[in-house]
Amino acid sequence: MIFTNKVSKIGIYTAIVLLALVFSAPFLYTLYTSFIPIKYVNTFTGLENWTFDNYKTFFTSDAYSVSKWLFNTVVMTGIILIGNLIINPMAAYALAKLDFFGKKLIFWIVVITMMIPYHMILIPVYVNMAKLGWLNSFAALTIPFLYQAIYIFMLRQFFIGVPNELIEAARMDGLTKMGAFWRIVYPLSKPVLITVAILTFAGTWNSYLIPSTLANTPEKYVLVVGLNSVKDMFFENTPLVMAGVVLTTLPILAFFFVFQKQYMEGISNSGLKG
Amino acid sequence: MLKADTYAGRNKIKKQTTRPRFSLRSLADSDQFVGWVFSLPFLILWGWWFFYPFMESFVRSFQEVNFMDLSQGKFIGLQNYVLILHDPQFYQALGNSLKIVLIAVPVQTVLGLVMAILVNQKIKGKGLFRTIFFIPYITSQIALTTVAMMLFKENTFVTKFFTAFGMENVTWFASTKYALLFVTLLFIFQQVGFTMIVYLSALQEISKELYEASVIDGANAWQKFRFITVPMLKPVTFFVVSVGTILGFQIFDQIAAISRYGALGSPAGATSTVITYFYQHGIRYMNLGYGSAAVVIFFFIIMLITVLQKKLLDDKE
Repeated sequence: MIFTNKVSKIGIYTAIVLLALVFSAPFLYTLYTSFIPIKYVNTFTGLENWTFDNYKTFFTSDAYSVSKWLFNTVVMTGIILIGNLIINPMAAYALAKLDFFGKKLIFWIVVITMMIPYHMILIPVYVNMAKLGWLNSFAALTIPFLYQAIYIFMLRQFFIGVPNELIEAARMDGLTKMGAFWRIVYPLSKPVLITVAILTFAGTWNSYLIPSTLANTPEKYVLVVGLNSVKDMFFENTPLVMAGVVLTTLPILAFFFVFQKQYMEGISNSGLKG
Repeated sequence: MLKADTYAGRNKIKKQTTRPRFSLRSLADSDQFVGWVFSLPFLILWGWWFFYPFMESFVRSFQEVNFMDLSQGKFIGLQNYVLILHDPQFYQALGNSLKIVLIAVPVQTVLGLVMAILVNQKIKGKGLFRTIFFIPYITSQIALTTVAMMLFKENTFVTKFFTAFGMENVTWFASTKYALLFVTLLFIFQQVGFTMIVYLSALQEISKELYEASVIDGANAWQKFRFITVPMLKPVTFFVVSVGTILGFQIFDQIAAISRYGALGSPAGATSTVITYFYQHGIRYMNLGYGSAAVVIFFFIIMLITVLQKKLLDDKE
């Protein structure tokens, strides 16, 4: 019995370590390559040959403006984040706790919208943006994405669980219905709001299809789109491209390490309830 | 409710008694009013940037319309649909989409479950392993694909390593033979961490008593897995499979990245999918009617598959 236990332990460790090697190798390769001169690509070289030149090039060359792309990404993500943290909870609360004409219809709108892939409407969205002269503007990158049906659904589930007594108590203290939401329920919903914020942040920061379609001039690129263009332009310069990968990925990884626990909980909740 | 109102009004008894029943203030504090005010920002954005374009997609799919003269859209009935259904490239794209889904979904579901079981064991550093497996999921797909493109070039050690398994020493993403496999592997690599996390939390929900009871009944490890774990995980499996299928059909970033300056789906359509097909025609070639018809077909394919999966996985009881 002890013997078989040991054998299975060894088996488990072997499997997990092998998998971990496969999963971390690309990241280690990227990090390593981003610090070496181009002549050492795909060979091993000691620390004495390492250099920051690849990173420096990014901030000094005129061929690309990483700082601008970073700025674009931050503004886009910031606006979308704020929108999603206001519009989604409001609609979700109305659907969960208020009784009004058309509520059922709005709920079905949310459910159906959730299930339709965004590609379905990309062509008309693109055309309408062009008609409004919005292409290559922050308006195009943010306004249609200030809400997310799936998060309205998620938040509604959460608000349903908020006890009615709490809201009634707030009313007794003289708060209006709107006040009861903003002053009592909203602050109490911090955990679920953090989940929505994290999922929105990661999804927006990493998005490529929509920003590359709606903002396609180099000054309006977001980081991911910019990285793709650097990769295409300087494909043979592996260390430079790898430095670009590190620069693009670092903020989201840092963010992930801070919010790892909430992020994973958010994901697994979407699995269990969805 | 009534009690609450009287309490709220206690300080302003004078005002309350003289106030008419339907004042502006009581209207502003009614469920009807607040409900609509709270739903309105969503409804406006949804109507403007979802419902209207959604309807437009259907209308345009029956038109011949070019980006240059939008008002000149000409109704041509089902012609766009007929053209698409006679286009061999469409079937190539559809076939590729199906291949991606049929390979990626089973692999990432099984691998995700295995990984969830592994990181659920009592072992050292399982938190670290969890993080390592999950990181590709939160990394930008463009970034991951870029790295993989560097690794799978001709003559790199990775490509040479795979020659031991009978693969040729070529640049994978530029080879009509391997490009689709390359994209599929990248998708699995990204998605499997998500599957693992979803399975992991489901595994932790299964009560220990079930396993203890089965041990008393003399069940071995395999029987525990087969007759407790698998059935208990069924709803989550359905979730994982349907999410995987829908996302598999929507793969775009990886393909856009490997196509570089070529048409989407390079090399030679080897990685074209229903998504890149519609994007190439509708947005790159500005053939709005044709692209919209392709999108409508894609929409019905997704719906059909969702319904089929629900039938298959739900009615097996």
